[in-house]
Amino acid sequence: MSNIILGVGDYGASNSPGDIVKTFALGSCVAVILLDPATRCVGMVHVALPDSNINRDKARERPGYFADTGIPALLKQMTTLGCNMRKLTVKLAGGAQIMDPNNTFNIGKRNILAVKKILWQYGMGPVAEDVGANFSRTVSVSTNTGEVVLNTPGRPPWKL
Amino acid sequence: MRQIIDSAEIHRRIEAAPLLSSSASRLLQVTSDPEHSLGEVVDIVKTDAALTARILRVVNSAAFGLLNTITSIDRATSYLGERMIIGIAIDICASQLFDKPLTGYEAERGELWRHDLRVAIASREIARLAPQEMAVDLAFTGGILHDIGKSILSEFLAGTAPVVLETIERGDARDYLSAERAMLGIDHAMAGFELARKWNLPTALQQVIRHHHRPAEAEESYRPLVYAVHLGDIVAMMGGGGTGSDTLQYHMDPGYAQYLEITPEQLTMTLLHVEEEFAKMEASLLDGKDGGA
Repeated sequence: MSNIILGVGDYGASNSPGDIVKTFALGSCVAVILLDPATRCVGMVHVALPDSNINRDKARERPGYFADTGIPALLKQMTTLGCNMRKLTVKLAGGAQIMDPNNTFNIGKRNILAVKKILWQYGMGPVAEDVGANFSRTVSVSTNTGEVVLNTPGRPPWKL
Repeated sequence: MRQIIDSAEIHRRIEAAPLLSSSASRLLQVTSDPEHSLGEVVDIVKTDAALTARILRVVNSAAFGLLNTITSIDRATSYLGERMIIGIAIDICASQLFDKPLTGYEAERGELWRHDLRVAIASREIARLAPQEMAVDLAFTGGILHDIGKSILSEFLAGTAPVVLETIERGDARDYLSAERAMLGIDHAMAGFELARKWNLPTALQQVIRHHHRPAEAEESYRPLVYAVHLGDIVAMMGGGGTGSDTLQYHMDPGYAQYLEITPEQLTMTLLHVEEEFAKMEASLLDGKDGGA
């Protein structure tokens, strides 16, 4: 039983009973959460930017940083843990914004769109999402229950 | 939202706040002058034994992985650069303010300092990308100090975060700053400004602290610098490095385009730059603190 803490650009998965996969303070970043009810395996990637073309070296060193390299890397890891890619449930959290009527710095929205586009290429889509708005989310997922819990300072925790 | 405290109590708290050391104060004065030299920085450091010792620990920390130990303060200063020296000097004498948990913002101990370091790195990078001449290290220092008022207001805001967030969501307060002002009669930018005046900080830094959420209200000549820190603060919050409940509860002022020619793509790149630099700087500063190496 352990906590698997994912930093910005990290990805990880576990099928050990009692494990918690967790990432802190998403801001404009997006957590892509993959759940396999059959094997009780949960996986998560903390995506910071939509497109790895902005910095290929970084993408090689830390594929989880970008939507287009992070999702394939996570899927690969989950497949090695015995997950059936076609039976995975997808949930999304994050992609927050600063209050800005002009949407100048809409990296949160671009992250969400990029994540959905990549998932679409695998024939996948989210069954639940808590995205956008202007607060930073912390996400934790338990391998025991598959429950996704979100937190933000100043509000009670809620389930996704 | 009604006022929950007499702001006179807060002003008394600002008066009672610790002073900067004379070396930190002189460093801030000297480095705000665009004509200064690194030699002047070294001369000030040499008068302060605690600062000298700490700088040598940082430069020789594992994070830098130097083959040979640096024992001269001149070499250490030029290796680390002015901004690290200032960061260390402020951290030593104002750690009481930076290191405490921000209870009123539901932020843990260390979150304020980590946020400030991220904002400092982002603000400097934004200032560096600007086509016009800018004091990039001053943007860094401004980033370190911009939220100092939160450490004063925090305890007066204890337990208020849920109400503040609801008030902003309903549109009854424009942002977290307005909500602070409604409840306490003063906001963290103004509290920080009062502290900055007590510390006799250079005008440029006073302007950054006072106007970082409302950069259009800064004096005209300081606006490029204030906008750089305004954007740096937003980059840090987008990257998940805020100070608790107020994270992202502010407006972006699109007026920056008038003072800084920075594209949304460059802002995105800054997000990546902050992540990389922050890890390096944080490790070396922490190593230095532990007295390691």
